[in-house]
Amino acid sequence: MTTLIEVPEAEPGIVAPKSKSKAGGGLGRYIVIRFFLIIPTVFILVTLVFFLMRVIGDPITASQGGRLPPDVLAQRIQDAGYDRPILIQYFEYIGQLLTGNFGTTITDRRPVVEVLTTFGAATLELSINALIVALLVGIPFGLIAAQHRDKTPDALLRFFAILCYATPVFFSGLLLKLTFSVWLGWFPVAGRASTRTELTMSGLAAPSGIYWLDALRSGNFTALVDIASHAVLPALALGLLTAGVFLRLVRTNVIGTLGKDYVEAGRSRGVSEFRLVTKHAYKPALIPIITVMGLQIALMLGGAILTETTFEWKGLGYQLVQYLNARDFVAVQGIVVLLAIIVAVTNFIVDIIAALIDPRVRY
Amino acid sequence: MALNKKALHGAIALAGISALALTACTGPSGGGSSSAPAAAGPIAYGTTDKVTSLDPAGSYDNGSFMVMNQIYSFLLNSKPGGADPVPDLAESSSFTTPSEYTVKLKSGLKWANGHTLDSKDVKFSFDRQVAINDPAGPASLLTNIESVTAPDATTVVFKLKNANDQTFSQILSSPAAPIVDDEVFPADKVLSDDEIIKANAFHGQYTIDSYKKNELVSFKAFADYQGVLGKPANDAATIKYYASPTNLKLEIQQGAIDVAFRSLSATDIDDLRKDSKVKVLTGPGGEIRYITFNFDTMPYGTKAAGADPAKALAVRQAVANLVDRQAIADQVYKGTYLPLYSNVPSGFLGANESFKDAYGDAGKPSLDKAKKVLADAGITEPVALNLQYNPDHYGGSSGDEYAMVKEQLEKSGLFTVNLQSTEWVTYSKASRADEYPLFQFGWFPDFSDADNYLTPFFPEGGFLKNHYNNATVNELISKQLTDADKTSRESAIKDVQNALAKDISTLPLLQGAQVAVVGSGVNGVDKTLDPSFKFRLGVISK
Repeated sequence: MTTLIEVPEAEPGIVAPKSKSKAGGGLGRYIVIRFFLIIPTVFILVTLVFFLMRVIGDPITASQGGRLPPDVLAQRIQDAGYDRPILIQYFEYIGQLLTGNFGTTITDRRPVVEVLTTFGAATLELSINALIVALLVGIPFGLIAAQHRDKTPDALLRFFAILCYATPVFFSGLLLKLTFSVWLGWFPVAGRASTRTELTMSGLAAPSGIYWLDALRSGNFTALVDIASHAVLPALALGLLTAGVFLRLVRTNVIGTLGKDYVEAGRSRGVSEFRLVTKHAYKPALIPIITVMGLQIALMLGGAILTETTFEWKGLGYQLVQYLNARDFVAVQGIVVLLAIIVAVTNFIVDIIAALIDPRVRY
Repeated sequence: MALNKKALHGAIALAGISALALTACTGPSGGGSSSAPAAAGPIAYGTTDKVTSLDPAGSYDNGSFMVMNQIYSFLLNSKPGGADPVPDLAESSSFTTPSEYTVKLKSGLKWANGHTLDSKDVKFSFDRQVAINDPAGPASLLTNIESVTAPDATTVVFKLKNANDQTFSQILSSPAAPIVDDEVFPADKVLSDDEIIKANAFHGQYTIDSYKKNELVSFKAFADYQGVLGKPANDAATIKYYASPTNLKLEIQQGAIDVAFRSLSATDIDDLRKDSKVKVLTGPGGEIRYITFNFDTMPYGTKAAGADPAKALAVRQAVANLVDRQAIADQVYKGTYLPLYSNVPSGFLGANESFKDAYGDAGKPSLDKAKKVLADAGITEPVALNLQYNPDHYGGSSGDEYAMVKEQLEKSGLFTVNLQSTEWVTYSKASRADEYPLFQFGWFPDFSDADNYLTPFFPEGGFLKNHYNNATVNELISKQLTDADKTSRESAIKDVQNALAKDISTLPLLQGAQVAVVGSGVNGVDKTLDPSFKFRLGVISK
C-alpha cells in the first residue's frame, strides 16, 4: 500500500533541457538503469509467487481430494507432474515464461495468455472509469479546499479526502451497492452489462473488450447507457479511493503556489482569489499528480481486485480471486506476473516523465 | 496554445457532463435493476458453479455437467421428474449375457454440424475417456468396462469385467458418458471449449450460440434433436455465472435472471422465502454430510491407547445417540438440508432409516441411551474426542454445523470435544492418513443409484481409508451390485444399511436438498428438481 503522501510542489519554471548537455546524457543513463531494474523486480516477484503458491498444495488434491482413494489420487498427481522436485518445476516455469508461455490454467483449461487478454480489457476499462472519477472529484475539490484554506469547506473536504482514502474499497463498494442498487434501485447490482448487452457485445466484429468503446464504435447508444449504468458504482468505489489522494495533493500544492511571488504580484494587481486559483495556481499543482498517478496504479490494481469481486466486474482482479479460491496456481502466477509487469512498467514511465520535468531526479 | 487549453477545458467539461448525463439516464429501467421479472426472451439462468471443460473427458464437476446436459445426449438418460435411465440415443438396451450390455441406437441421428451420429461415435466416446484418463475427468467411473465394440452402425456392445453390474445403466447416463463427435474430438487429448463450439459438435436439446467461459453462455434450441427430452419448452436460454451467492440472490430478486440455482447460502434462501416476488422450489438432493470414524485412531481404536473394540463401538453408538440432526438442519441450514438417518439417502432404491431405528429417540437425541451404552462398556469418565472439520470445501456453514455437534455432545457431560479445522488440501490428505480420529466429509453422487453411497465407502474402508472392514457388509454390497432382481436387490441394500448402522463406520448427519429460486411467471423448474440431479433448461418457460 502506498501512503497518503503530500509531495512538495513543483517549481513552475522547471522544464526539460532542450540541448544535448551533460544533463541530457544523464537522462539516457538514467533511463537505461531504470529499465534494467524492472527485470530483477519482476524476477523476484515471480519467484516469490511461485513458491508461495506451492505452499497451498497441489491442485489435483484440491479438486479431487474428497472423492478418490489416496493411491488413485497419488497416481493422478504423478501423471500431472506435481510430484516432481519443486526446483525442477520452478525452472521449467521460468523457461516457459521466457518464451512467453504463461501456461494453461488448471481449473478451466485456458491458456493464461488468453485469460490476460480477455480480462485485461475489463480491468483497463474499470481503471479508466475510476481515474475519470478520481480526477473529476479530486482536482475540483482540491482547488476548492485550497481556495477556502482553513475554513469550513476546506475542513469538510479534507475530512472527505481522508474518508475516501481510509475506507476499504470492498466496504465502500458494498455501501454503494446497498444504497444505490438494493435500496434505491438506481443502478444494477453486478456485472459490466445486462445479459442482452453482453450478447450484443459478443456479436460485434473485432471488439476491443472495452465495452463503452465497442458500444460507441458500433453506434449502439442503448447498450452504451446500459454499460454506463453498470459502470457508475464500481468506478465510484475505486475512483474515490484515489480521489482522496488527488484532493489532498492538489490542495497542498495550490496552497504552496498561492504563496509564490508571481501569485502575490497578481493578487496585488487586484486579481480575484478564484481567478488566482483557477488560472495561475492549478497548473503547477497538477504536475506532481502525474508522478503520484504512477504510484497510484499499484493502489488502483489492488483496489480493482476488491471492486471487481464486489461488483462481479469480470476483469483480471475478479479472475485472480476465482483462481485463488480454486488453488489454480498456474493462473494466479500468470495474473500476478502481468500485474507486476504493469506496475513496474508504469513506474518506469513515471520515472522518465519525472526526470524530464525535473532534471534533479536523474542524479 | 490557447486553442489547446480551450480544447482541454472543453474535453474535461464534456467528459464531466457526459458522465453526469449518462448517470442521470440510468434509472431502474435503464439499469435493468427493476424488481419486475426478466423481460420475455431467452430463459436466464444464474449460478455460482463454474465450467471446467465442455469436453466430457476433461471435467467431472457440477458446473460443466450442467452445460453438457443441455448440449450432448447419452445412450440412456432420465426424463425430468425421475432418475431411472431410459433410452435416449438408444432405441433399446439390455444385458445380452451377464457380462455383455448391448445398446441399439436410433437410426438417422445427426450432429448439429451435419455429421452422422452412429455407433462409431459411441465407441469412440468411451474409448477416449479411458485413454485420456484426465486427472480432472470422470474416467474412473468406467473401470468396469473391459471393451466396447460397434459391430454395425446402430449396435454397441459393452463387455464388462464384473458381470451383471446393476449400476451400468446409470453409468451410461453419468458424467463419463456424453456421446461426442468422433470427427471433431481427438482420441487422445481434451478438446478446448472454443474448438468444440466452432465445430458445432452438439446433439442435445440445445446448441451453443455464443460462449464466454464462466461469464455468459447462450443456447439455441436444436431442431434435429431426437433424444428422450423432446423439444424444449423455450427457444433459447442463457447461463450467467456469478462469483458471489449474494449477487446471485440480488439479481434474482431484481428480475435480472429467471432462475437461480446452486449455490445460495442458507440464510439467503431463508430470506428469499419471505420475498413475494420470487418462489423458492426444493427437490430431493443427493448430497450427504457425515462424520467418519477412524477405526485405528478414535478413542479405544485398534491403535489408540487402551485399545478396546467394544469401548470404541460404545463411543460411536453414544455419539449416534446424542446428535440432533433436525436441530442442525433447522438452525444452521434453515431447511436447505434434511436430517439423514442412513448411509443411503432417502429417495434411492432400498433407502431406510436404520440409524433412526437404532439410536436416539425416533430421530431425537437420547441422553439415557448414550449413558447406558457407555456405562455398559465400562466407560465412566467423559471421553475426549478430537473432531476435525473443513471450513473451505464444504461451505461456510461447516463451522456452525460442527460447533453445534460439539455443543450437543458436550451438553451430555459424556464427551469433551476438541474441535479443529484445517485447510482443504492438508485436510484431504491428513484425513486419509490416520491423522484425524473423527472427521467431517461430504459426498455428491456420481450417478443416481444407492450403490454410489455404498461401494465407494465401505469395502475395506473405501476411499475413506478409515480401517473399517466387515466381511458381511462387503458381501451384501457385492450382492446388491450384481443382483438383477429389483426386489431382492432392494432387500440387500436395506440389509447393508442395517449392518452399517450397527458398526457406524460413518455417522450420517444431513442430506442436501436441491434448491432453485424462480422469478414470477417462470414455470417448469419444479419438473427438473428430481433425483437424477440433472438440471434441464428445456423444461422452463415464461
